[in-house]
Amino acid sequence: MNRKSLLLVLSLFVVGALLVSCAPAATPAPTAMPAPTTAPVATAVPPTAAPTASAMDALVTAAKAEGQLTVIALPHDWCNYGGAIDGFKAKYGLTVNELNPDGSSGQELQAIVANESNKGPQAPDVVDVGLGFGPQAMQQNLLAPYKVSTWNDIPDSAKDSGGYWYGDYYGVMAFEVNSDVVTDPPQDWSDLLKPEYKNDVALSGDPRQAAQAVQGVFAAGLSSDNGDVAGAAQAGLNFFAQLNKAGNFVPIIAKTGQVAKGETPISITWDYLSLADADTLAGNPKITTIVPKTGVVAGIYVQGISAYAPHPNAAKLWEEYLYSDEGQLQWLKGYCHPIRFNAMAQAGTIPSDLLAKLPPAANYANAVFPTLDQQTAYKTAITTGWDTVVGANVQAAPTP
Amino acid sequence: MRKINLWAWLWIILGGLYFFGPLYGALDFSMREKRGILSFVAYENVLKDPNFRDSFTYSTLIALATITVGLILIVSTAYWVHLRLPQARPIVDFITLLPFVVPAIVLVDGFIQIYSGPPFALTDTPQGTNVLLMFGYIVTAMPYMYRSVDAGLRAVDVRTLTEAGQSLGAGWITILFRVILPNIRTALLSGAFLTFAIVIGEYTFASLLARPAFGPYMVLLGQDRAYEPAALSIMSFALTWAAMMLIQFLGRGAPGQGQVAGAH
Amino acid sequence: MADPTQADSPGQPLVRSFLPTDLLVWLGVLPFFLFAILFILWPSSSLVVGSFQDIQGHFTFKNIVDLFTPSILNSYLLSIQISLVTAVAGTLFGFMLAYAAVLGGLPRWVRTAVMTLCGVAANFAGVPLAFAFVATLGRTGIFTASLRDAFHFDIYQHGFNLYSFGGLALTYLYFQFPLMVLIIAPSLDGLRREWREASENLGASTWQYWRHIALPILLPSLLGTMILLFGNAFGAYATAYALTGGFLNLITIEVGNQISGNVLYNPNLGLALALGMIVVMSVSIGLYTWLQRRTARWLR
Repeated sequence: MNRKSLLLVLSLFVVGALLVSCAPAATPAPTAMPAPTTAPVATAVPPTAAPTASAMDALVTAAKAEGQLTVIALPHDWCNYGGAIDGFKAKYGLTVNELNPDGSSGQELQAIVANESNKGPQAPDVVDVGLGFGPQAMQQNLLAPYKVSTWNDIPDSAKDSGGYWYGDYYGVMAFEVNSDVVTDPPQDWSDLLKPEYKNDVALSGDPRQAAQAVQGVFAAGLSSDNGDVAGAAQAGLNFFAQLNKAGNFVPIIAKTGQVAKGETPISITWDYLSLADADTLAGNPKITTIVPKTGVVAGIYVQGISAYAPHPNAAKLWEEYLYSDEGQLQWLKGYCHPIRFNAMAQAGTIPSDLLAKLPPAANYANAVFPTLDQQTAYKTAITTGWDTVVGANVQAAPTP
Repeated sequence: MRKINLWAWLWIILGGLYFFGPLYGALDFSMREKRGILSFVAYENVLKDPNFRDSFTYSTLIALATITVGLILIVSTAYWVHLRLPQARPIVDFITLLPFVVPAIVLVDGFIQIYSGPPFALTDTPQGTNVLLMFGYIVTAMPYMYRSVDAGLRAVDVRTLTEAGQSLGAGWITILFRVILPNIRTALLSGAFLTFAIVIGEYTFASLLARPAFGPYMVLLGQDRAYEPAALSIMSFALTWAAMMLIQFLGRGAPGQGQVAGAH
Repeated sequence: MADPTQADSPGQPLVRSFLPTDLLVWLGVLPFFLFAILFILWPSSSLVVGSFQDIQGHFTFKNIVDLFTPSILNSYLLSIQISLVTAVAGTLFGFMLAYAAVLGGLPRWVRTAVMTLCGVAANFAGVPLAFAFVATLGRTGIFTASLRDAFHFDIYQHGFNLYSFGGLALTYLYFQFPLMVLIIAPSLDGLRREWREASENLGASTWQYWRHIALPILLPSLLGTMILLFGNAFGAYATAYALTGGFLNLITIEVGNQISGNVLYNPNLGLALALGMIVVMSVSIGLYTWLQRRTARWLR
């Protein structure tokens, strides 16, 4: 439900240069979710072209005239959004209304629909949703196209060619380990099954609901079946059934508090959340972030402007800010890899102290970016299979 | 009498353990932000934030408005159902329980769709949105408010009291405010407590209507932190309790005396 | 005043003879129904409409048919079970506590403290409540740990598990029984001391007093509150989600999955699920009304 668990439903693409996609073409499962390529795109509307310097000035003026911006589902500790919002406010002097910081991607879209005719501060201007929600929102005509001036830096696989949605940042599945409790942290998924981790391991969401947890199950499966994407969902379910049988699995949503308390000393979560937690907790307890050796799965979010945005210019300005070097670095401060990471690394615009705080680049070298079809397939397999494969033997109530 | 007393204490102690056990757990954890020692760092972090006071004040005011308007609506309805319309009871029961099963998110989306455009346009202004929020809270609190008032009315013989009042020549307003309300004071207080506590912590309505309330503040501050959320829940528990003691204290004077004048 | 019909009512006994009684009497609840339509029924009408639509907005029965799949029926059953268990247990414990606080002959401050505490506790739910229980009764919770340290007694070795049906029920009770206390207290206030004295003077035993006097007076309120407790637990979501992530498949969690999940996201099925909850609630109220009539007869 919460934003932490907010991840993609379907994912397409590989962020190229840095990462090697080793995902073989998996069985693309036909689902109810229409593929984005077949979506009826309102191509008649020419996307606003990237603004020139003077156009940028005009945009700033127009945005200032609107005076405010409404964002939704942005927790301040998530990818340092708190810093980004403050930076934007300070730079342009706009008021930022923040809705439902605990909201999910589904709720973000629902908020657009509910506020179609509302011009008040309840209507979100921009959304930040899991990858699969981008094409879906576009198909429901909820998004307005816009191309930021740094558009060309965004890999083609991570954006809609019409400018309706565009990738913003990504991270990989990792183990967040409370080092006070677990002195010898697990290095790979298979380690989690060891008896020394009894009652230690938890997911940070319900795998029937939270994409983050689905990715965790998938990643575990990918590791245990040696990288075969097609069989990973089933392998992941089996892995968690085994984990549960061994008594290592704790059926609770692992939030920062639970990790710190030691109730769930190993939590499976996005690397950037774990790294941010380590900062927040400042050594009490010490948090170690482990990117597993195998089964490294990456997830990406996308930005979009609401088609019904009451403050369309402020929304565009916000996107310009986020995709500027300054905005991208804000995300990086929150340990999220901004989508222009490679371009900026090449241009040398990333301060070295920020780079030094990231886990070694080697950890990301073999990250898998599942395609949209792959995600759809394993999402369905995991959400529907969880109760019978993993959950059945823990169900306390008798089944009729 | 002695025996009853002992039993009573036993139940109170059991209840107290149940109340304070989990609170103690959270309290202990909230004081461990500094390694190895107990400290109030997490509390200081919370108090440092000016939004803390503002949002709590805002929610308190909304809560008072909700209690006032809600009680007027619920008391008059429940009273009337008791006195004249027992056949309406099942349907009123049903409606008052609906807020449990209609997800808040569905309700708030409905609110926005209906009241954001003409002819109501309530969301255009902060005042209008406040009114909308208050009605949302009346809905949310209604199951509790109605039940306590209903139980209170059952405990007194409404019909006899009313008839006695009438035979003495009192009007309806007088009967309601001078006879019925004083007799169900405990029930009104219960309803008020419940409403207050609901409104102080409510998240979904306040957040999606974009009002600066305490619930969204708690979520925003508490997200992805360890010790602060625990500290916040202890603080909000304590603050809400204090506010209720205050309501209880203020409610001691005979209720309604001043309001009778206002009603005419 | 928000209630003009009542302001008009002094003249009613006279007017009544001219107009159909029923109609006029219904006027008294007009404000309530107006409120209900404006702020409950109308805003949630999308729930009924959406239940019969697919995501494109076309009419369909598929969502309703889907309600009858085993896993969803199972969710309803599990929710009903936990609601029943915690409603009954909450009623019993809450009643004893309320009785002790109101009629136990304790100092006045005890009652004030209990009542106000109950007001807060009844609404202490969701993530904070779940965390408080984890911090207390989790595997590393203070209570668990101190028992283990002091007596070498590990409750987790003896069948206790916070992350199970029992643990969830225990957590739910935290907001269930205070609700009972708050709502039943006024009824207990209504029990006059003279009645008890009178019955004792007439030679009635404690049992007879309860069976023939106190219970008949209290029962409607007890039943009414029990159904409130039932609804309260039936609609609870956040606490369960935080506490048993992925293992107890309650119907509210299922609704959450569909309406606002990141994975399943089928809002129309979610609405149909909520519609099913309304049906369950209506049936419970029907049962309650029937039960109340039955008991009224039995008690007479």
